[in-house]
Formats: sequence, structure tokens, C-alpha cells
Amino acid sequence: MTDVERLFRTYNAALVRYLTRRLGDRDWAEEVAQETFVRALRQTSITNERAWLFAVATNLVRDEARKDSRRRKHLALLAEEERGAMVEPEETTLERAQEASMARKAVDALAERDRLALLMREEGLDYNEIAEALELSPGSVGTTLSRARRRLVESYESLQQDREAREKNAAS
Amino acid sequence: MQHPDEGTIHAWLDGALSVEEAAAIEAHVKECPECATAVAEARGFIAASSRILTALDNAPRGVIPTARPRKRFDPLVWRIAASLLVVAAGTLVVVRNREAGGRADAAAADSLAPMRPGASASTVPVTSRVGSGQAVVPAPKVFDLPAQRQAAVAPKKVEDRLAPAVPAAPAAPATLAPMAMVPLASPAAGAAGAAARDRAFGAAPLRIVATPRRIGAKVTLYEVDGDTVTLTESGPPLESVVVTGLSARQATEKAAAQPKRMAAAAAPAAAPDTQERRVAPAPPAPAVVGGQAESNSLATINGQAMNVITWSDAKTGATLTLTGRIPSARLEQLKIRIERERAEAAARKEP
Repeated sequence: MTDVERLFRTYNAALVRYLTRRLGDRDWAEEVAQETFVRALRQTSITNERAWLFAVATNLVRDEARKDSRRRKHLALLAEEERGAMVEPEETTLERAQEASMARKAVDALAERDRLALLMREEGLDYNEIAEALELSPGSVGTTLSRARRRLVESYESLQQDREAREKNAAS
Repeated sequence: MQHPDEGTIHAWLDGALSVEEAAAIEAHVKECPECATAVAEARGFIAASSRILTALDNAPRGVIPTARPRKRFDPLVWRIAASLLVVAAGTLVVVRNREAGGRADAAAADSLAPMRPGASASTVPVTSRVGSGQAVVPAPKVFDLPAQRQAAVAPKKVEDRLAPAVPAAPAAPATLAPMAMVPLASPAAGAAGAAARDRAFGAAPLRIVATPRRIGAKVTLYEVDGDTVTLTESGPPLESVVVTGLSARQATEKAAAQPKRMAAAAAPAAAPDTQERRVAPAPPAPAVVGGQAESNSLATINGQAMNVITWSDAKTGATLTLTGRIPSARLEQLKIRIERERAEAAARKEP
């Protein structure tokens, strides 16, 4: 049996961050991470732990999204509404909130594979691990990542420019 | 070497290439201004995308608004728990009635004495209640008093006698009887104000929000008046005396170190008075009652003024600390409730 406690201690933080970035919801991310470790518990042996965990987490997100995408969509809408009314636990400046919202939009605009590869890379997975988790050829990971990064930055910058233009209009 | 593509440049910067491939690209980039520009751009994308992704880490705790606790018990569970409590308390009355001792009840009644300065002023002097030995009157007598009074109205079952203790209390004369009922039914004896508050507080068990794990201590978080109050239970029985004294002293020092405005802001009426009384080296009667030393002070946690009560459980010797933003008088009430619940829990364990 896999030493789940060790796995959890080693990878939970990265996994939750990866999932939070992917899903935009910390609670949901923690749920999926927990389920991932539960799956690991049933596994007799895992060759590449990190790749395995990220792959399983990614699949869980995918399965769940497929299973009840409509319910999630509805909840996401509700959450969006709540977010407006909600008092943030930490003091978030308007600036930071706007940055987060633009980042969310820019990440959502990426193709799923590009997004996942990028988020995994950010958690320190190497090219072989990303290839294994996403069932890509290791040679294509560089291309996937370069495309993901370029698109993310470009769409973020264009959102930023839109915002600046809007603010300019509002000011004049 | 031909110009490396963007993917290869990223792979190189990510350290994903073999030593030979990396060396070849490095050499090429040195010679080729075009590729040097591409490498600089790639570095920029890598850094910028990391920074953008960091902005996502402040994700809200999602679908459920943060203000509400995440998981709640069904009210039904509370109702069942409350009924069980009433039955258990009823059993306790019967059991204690059979024993001639009733020491625990008397002690619990004693512990109530310092909690209600207002009550003692309007009813019976503290000394007569605590010191005269009325409290150690054999249990049957103690419990017969309310029974007799109620019997004049209508014969009632044990449970009935317990449940309406709250409405009965304000009308009841200031005798020992309702006080003795307190640990078993409701802290509704004495001042009508306190009774009203406790009625609002409800006869149901205290709402426990969480029990976070801490080494060497049992921590329970209660929800009171929409705020959180922390109960910390620690210390091996043998050391309890030392620990209590120490913590009391520390609390005093802490309180002394607090700026005055903090004390004034946190508990305008109750705190300075009770604090003096409880921590003073030669306190009047209420400070040590039934083998329970206690201290009451102010502390600050995360920059917020907190009221702190420390006392030691006479039975287990554990040191109990109640911390919360609510006024210390309220903490005292809470302490009574907690002691009562603990007594009931202990009674259930050792029938």
C-alpha cells in the first residue's frame, strides 16, 4: 500500500494550489485533492508519484466537470454573484481583485491542455512528468508550454489594456 | 546549428534538455542576436505567466459564502441532543437523590456564587450561601424544595420539573433551591436579567464550532452571541495547582502590561472590577470556591482585546481557559454552562 500520509505531506500544498488555479475555487480544489489521495490509498504501487497524483486530480476534475457541468455552471454563477456581496477574509485591494479577475479570464481562455501543462509546470513538474500526466510526448511539452505562456501573457495584457482604456474613458 | 524553435527555447530555459542540447543552444544564442531576442522574450513570458498565475491563489472559498460556517448540524440533531440532556439530567437527579451526598451539586452551586455579583446583592449574601453550609445540605432536601413548591400547583414528572426551571426562576424567592437546581437544569436562578439572557441563550447544549487539535491540550471552539469563544483544557492533574497559579500570574502581568485604553475598550463595566477581585493575592470569598482557583483578565490576540478566564477543574485537576471577545461577565456565564455540561458528561460516564 502507498504511504498516503507521506504523499499528502509532500504533495498536498502543490496539488491544492494547482487545482485552485485550475478551478478558481479553493473548497472544490481541496475536495478534489482529498479524493486524489483517497485514490492513491487504493493503489498498490505508483511509479512516478507526482505525475500520477496530478494526472488523477486532472481526470477527477474532468470527470466531475463532465458529470455535472450544468450544476457547476449554475453554482459558479451564484458564486460570482456572492463574490460581489461577500466580504473577503483578507483585505483585498481593488487592484488585486482586478488582477485576479483578469488572471482568471486569461487562464480560462487557454486551451485545456495548454492550461494544465502550464499549471503543472508551475508546481514544479518536469517535462517527463507533465508528459506522463497529460499523455503527451515529452518532445511536445516545450511547444505546449511556450504556446500556453505566450497566450496567457498576451490575453492578460490585452485585458489590462482594455481596462486602462475604460478607466481613461471614465476619467475624461 | 539552425535557429531553435520557441518550444525548444522554453525547454532549454526550463532545464528540460540534455547537457549536449543545452550546450549547443547556449553556443548558438551567443552568436545569434535574433535568437538572443527570442530567449529574452521567452524569459519574459515565463516570468510574467508565473506572476499572473500567482494572482489566482487568492481564490475565494468558493460557492459557500465565508461568513457562514461550512458544515452545520441539522437542528434536529440539536433537538435530540437537548432531549438526551434533559433525560440524563433527570436521571442524575434521581441518582443523586438516592445518594445522601450531593457533593458535586453543592460544589457546582458554590461555583455559581461568584458569577453573579448582581444576583447575590439582590438575593442572599454570598457568604451565607457559600460558607454557611447550606450548600452541603443533603441532596434530597435540596431537590425537594422545588418539588414541594411545584407540587402545590400540580404533581409533575422529573423531566417537567427540570424543563420549566427557567420560567419558574424569576418568580421564585431567593432561596437556595433554585441555585441547587442550576447545575442540572438551567442557570436561571437569581437575577431576572441573567435568567432572561440564559433563556435567550437556550437550554440546548453549547454550540461547538470546532475542536482543533493541539498537542497537550483539548481545544473547543464555541459559538456564543455570534462570536467565537475558545476553551482550552490542559495540564496533568498533579501539576494543576502550579499551572493555575502560573497562568493566573501571567494573566495578571499581561493585563497589567495592557494599555489602559484596551481594557476600557474591551469590557467597560465588568472587566476591571472582576479582574481586581479575582487576581488579588488575598481575595474575598468568591475567588477560590470549592477548590477552584480562577483568574480573569484581558489579553490581546491578533491585536484584538480578548477576555480570559482561567480556572482549574476540582475533579480532574485540569486547567481550563476561556478566551473570547465577549464581555467577561458573559464568559463567566459560559463557564457555568461548560462546567455543568462537563459535570453531566462525567455523570454519564460514571453512572
